[in-house]
Amino acid sequence: MITLTRRHLLGTTAAGLAAVARTAAADPAEVKIALLVPLSGAWGRFGVTMREGAELGVRDVNAQGGVKALGGAKLKLMVFDAGDSAEKAKEAAQRMVADQPDLVAASGAYLSTFTLAATEVTERAELPMLTLSYSDLITNRGFRYVFQTSSRGDDQANESIPALLKMAEQATGKRPQTVGIITDNTGASISFVKPLRDSNGEKFGLKIVVNETFTPPLADATQLIQKVRAARPDMLIMPVTVISDAKQLIEKMNEFGIGRGRLPTICSGIAVADFDMQKNMNPALLDGLMTVVANWDAKGEDQIQAKFKAETHEPWMTQNGISTYGDMWIIKAALEKAGKADRHAVADALRTLDITDGPAMFFPGHRIEFDSKGLRENAGLVIVQWQKGTPITVYPPELAVAAPIWPKH
Amino acid sequence: MMSYVAPADAPSVEDIFPPEAAWRSLMPILAVLLCWGAAAFAITNSYYLLLMTMVPVWAAFGLSWNLFSGYSGLISFGHAAFFGLGAYFVTLAFIVFGLTPWLGIPIAGLLGAVAALLIGLPTFRLRGHYFALAMLAYPLALLSIFEWLGYEEVTLPMKREAGATWMQFADYHVYVFLALALLGGAMLLTRAVERSRLGLALVAIRQNEPAAEAAGIDTLRRKLQALSLSGGLAALTGGFYAVILLVVTPDSVFGMLVSAQALTLAMFGGVGSVWGPIIGAVILIPLSELLQAKLGAVIPGIQGVVYGLAIVAVILLAREGLFWRVKDLLRRPAAQAMPLAPAATPPPAPPPRSEATDAMPLLEVTGPLLEVTGLSRAFGGLHAVQDVSFSVRSGEILGVIGPNGAGKTTLFNLLNGFVRPDAGAVLLRGQNILGQQPNRICRAGIGRTFQVVRPFARMTVADNVRAGAHVHGASEAEARALARAALVRTGIAGQARMLASQLTNLQLRQMELARALAGSPDLLLLDEPLAGLGAGEIEVLIDVVRRIAADGVTIVIIEHTLHAMVRLVDRFIVLDHGTVLATGSPTEVTQNPAVIEAYLGKAWAEHA
Repeated sequence: MITLTRRHLLGTTAAGLAAVARTAAADPAEVKIALLVPLSGAWGRFGVTMREGAELGVRDVNAQGGVKALGGAKLKLMVFDAGDSAEKAKEAAQRMVADQPDLVAASGAYLSTFTLAATEVTERAELPMLTLSYSDLITNRGFRYVFQTSSRGDDQANESIPALLKMAEQATGKRPQTVGIITDNTGASISFVKPLRDSNGEKFGLKIVVNETFTPPLADATQLIQKVRAARPDMLIMPVTVISDAKQLIEKMNEFGIGRGRLPTICSGIAVADFDMQKNMNPALLDGLMTVVANWDAKGEDQIQAKFKAETHEPWMTQNGISTYGDMWIIKAALEKAGKADRHAVADALRTLDITDGPAMFFPGHRIEFDSKGLRENAGLVIVQWQKGTPITVYPPELAVAAPIWPKH
Repeated sequence: MMSYVAPADAPSVEDIFPPEAAWRSLMPILAVLLCWGAAAFAITNSYYLLLMTMVPVWAAFGLSWNLFSGYSGLISFGHAAFFGLGAYFVTLAFIVFGLTPWLGIPIAGLLGAVAALLIGLPTFRLRGHYFALAMLAYPLALLSIFEWLGYEEVTLPMKREAGATWMQFADYHVYVFLALALLGGAMLLTRAVERSRLGLALVAIRQNEPAAEAAGIDTLRRKLQALSLSGGLAALTGGFYAVILLVVTPDSVFGMLVSAQALTLAMFGGVGSVWGPIIGAVILIPLSELLQAKLGAVIPGIQGVVYGLAIVAVILLAREGLFWRVKDLLRRPAAQAMPLAPAATPPPAPPPRSEATDAMPLLEVTGPLLEVTGLSRAFGGLHAVQDVSFSVRSGEILGVIGPNGAGKTTLFNLLNGFVRPDAGAVLLRGQNILGQQPNRICRAGIGRTFQVVRPFARMTVADNVRAGAHVHGASEAEARALARAALVRTGIAGQARMLASQLTNLQLRQMELARALAGSPDLLLLDEPLAGLGAGEIEVLIDVVRRIAADGVTIVIIEHTLHAMVRLVDRFIVLDHGTVLATGSPTEVTQNPAVIEAYLGKAWAEHA
């Protein structure tokens, strides 16, 4: 009995050692990267699209020969659920860096609150983290291992309003003179209307004729839209982050005869261009509605979009799908530049990266270069407009798949 | 007033309140903290160290909720208000004034304590569900205010040099030890409150706030004290939470889920004990995180379902929480040995007062103890008590009888301050006590019992009585001596160490009498003390009441059991429709046709 046990034990140990040796020797060419996004809770839907984008990205990188500088090493994606709170996001990030010490880079964590909490961990672990979140806090903390691929909320406003005014002038021959503002009181929305409000519109040569803020969830949109109807602004800035609020406002606008693009309406963020908008209301009512986002399905990405749609059955990629797909290629490019699977080397490579092809094609501005804070320079923005039931890129021209429709009064 | 001398063979104070060495309750606390710290030493994985930090943090927050709601029974849905204020104070003080969290966290604690007073003062005007819902409003309001102020996302700046000065450590072990220090402090605070008069007062409030007030407890002051301690601890914990998480958003510190977390942990583990919230945190926090880690990326959302089911299962199996369930299981075999071995032989009862004694001059009467004149109170159109005047002589037993709805209990409520009269005067030893709070009237010397006995079920009989003794007992020793005397006088000293929930109906009545007696009242108002007792039990209780009266306590008693009353009381007043129908000796009153008519109807009166 005793001998049997001992022999058995010895055998197992030997086999175990052999197995360890085999893994170490036979598979040198696997580089672990992580995706930390909400997969459960209120933001789970967005995280799922990001995972789909990342998975497709990793598969494409590997199918096209992996990381050539590392002898064709394959990327291996580790996925972590950031949950539905800052605390859960931080715990997930801690688990990620503690359990996977050989990660070289990560991408996440959708909501800026989660990104802020998670990067407190990755910064201390010196793990480079790419993010598509908008908050200006992310790259203003003196961190060295965070890389923001999206332009920040206030920059988007400063950049998009002049672009929209120009768009209007081109379409109608007349520059809009008055603007209405209806915004919810979430951080992203408030920072989007801030440049307009701070200068009372003067900075953009506009006169603010309606200026309303509400707290989600909106109980009744009638009063807000009544005010807009009465003031008849030339355009309406309406950043809304909750889909049900957007639906109410848009349906009410239609009721009052200023919907369906008759009053040019510009939102901010991806909520109003989400799949759920189309599912929850008559898509015809959405026609003409615009929104300013950091990235979107653009011209020249047809192949990837087609593959993404076929695999995931999602109707379009959204910023989440395309940016996260692009992140995988940025990490691959950094690995090529670093020449070794080491997080510090990858971070150094990201800091000095300057490319205008390959992964750069998946981001507005078509250039990947991070400034000293980690913010992508000239990150630019995308204006998306609902046309015939689909939100499509209409600005900037080099990414636009169709011309913007600005109503001629 | 300790005129009563207990017989020599009665259980001693030490028998009734077995001296408990402080180390017996301190040791488990120290042991848990040391084991936790030692385990942390052995761990190097930063993720597990983070979890080992979060568990004590949430346990401390659970304890802060428990300190107020657990003991007082007033459910607060709004403890996130204090937690969030602490978190935001520490963060903003760091950013704006460069104040290190080492100072910021203690100041946050003070801020929380002050905020609790400001919140408590208006909110304690509400009771029950209304109180709970009103508390919910504070964190929600603060959430909106902080959003409006533009603090949607605030982060604690990273200090790359001299991190320790800013409570920032590269070694995660330090956070575990800090969290343990916080938890240890919270446990010691809870233990201190539990053993103090405040703790006893809170438990009394939880069982029955009016009864507590009638027993001489200033309930508003006690509630404010408790909420203030609790709010301070919650804010302290919130401040430390900000240091751990480094990111503060209105939702993560003022959100509904934060308040709910405190409730869930305490209710799961066991409300009203030092250990409940800790048991809750030790089980639920890692469980939820483990489910998130294992299932979150596989079947998103399933972790919430499993977590919810676990809580539902425990609540179904252990309604008061795990701690009490386990304690009950452990206690059951020992319960038999609980009663003190030699049941105290009650002192011989004085001879029944008869008509004959009534005819004799009453012992050393020195004018009325209580003088009631023109007392009236109407509820809408119903005149519950109308122009009632009578006096109570020192040392007598006065019976108050009358048909249902005659206004007897309302009369008691007027006398002890529960209800304010519309008109009239009540003089106790010549001093007007009208309009005073019940606890003041109790201190002035009027004790009372209730129609429905309200025991403090989870407390021993001795502690139930001790709660009443705090009215006058200046020191704890004196309170214990008073409680012991009251227990002996009412004949339940033998059950002193049993839980109130284990008593028979008769024993409960005796205990309630003892509780009222422990406050050394000059005048005792007994509201139907014989209700629900069998014939033999009635005799026992009557003997007890007689004995108390013989010791010089004046008694006013409401009772329906007339045949018992006739043998007990010196004098009756008869109420009907809120007015005094008759007064007089038992014989006079039972033969008064008006009384017979009021009780039995006109036909009976004519027949008689």
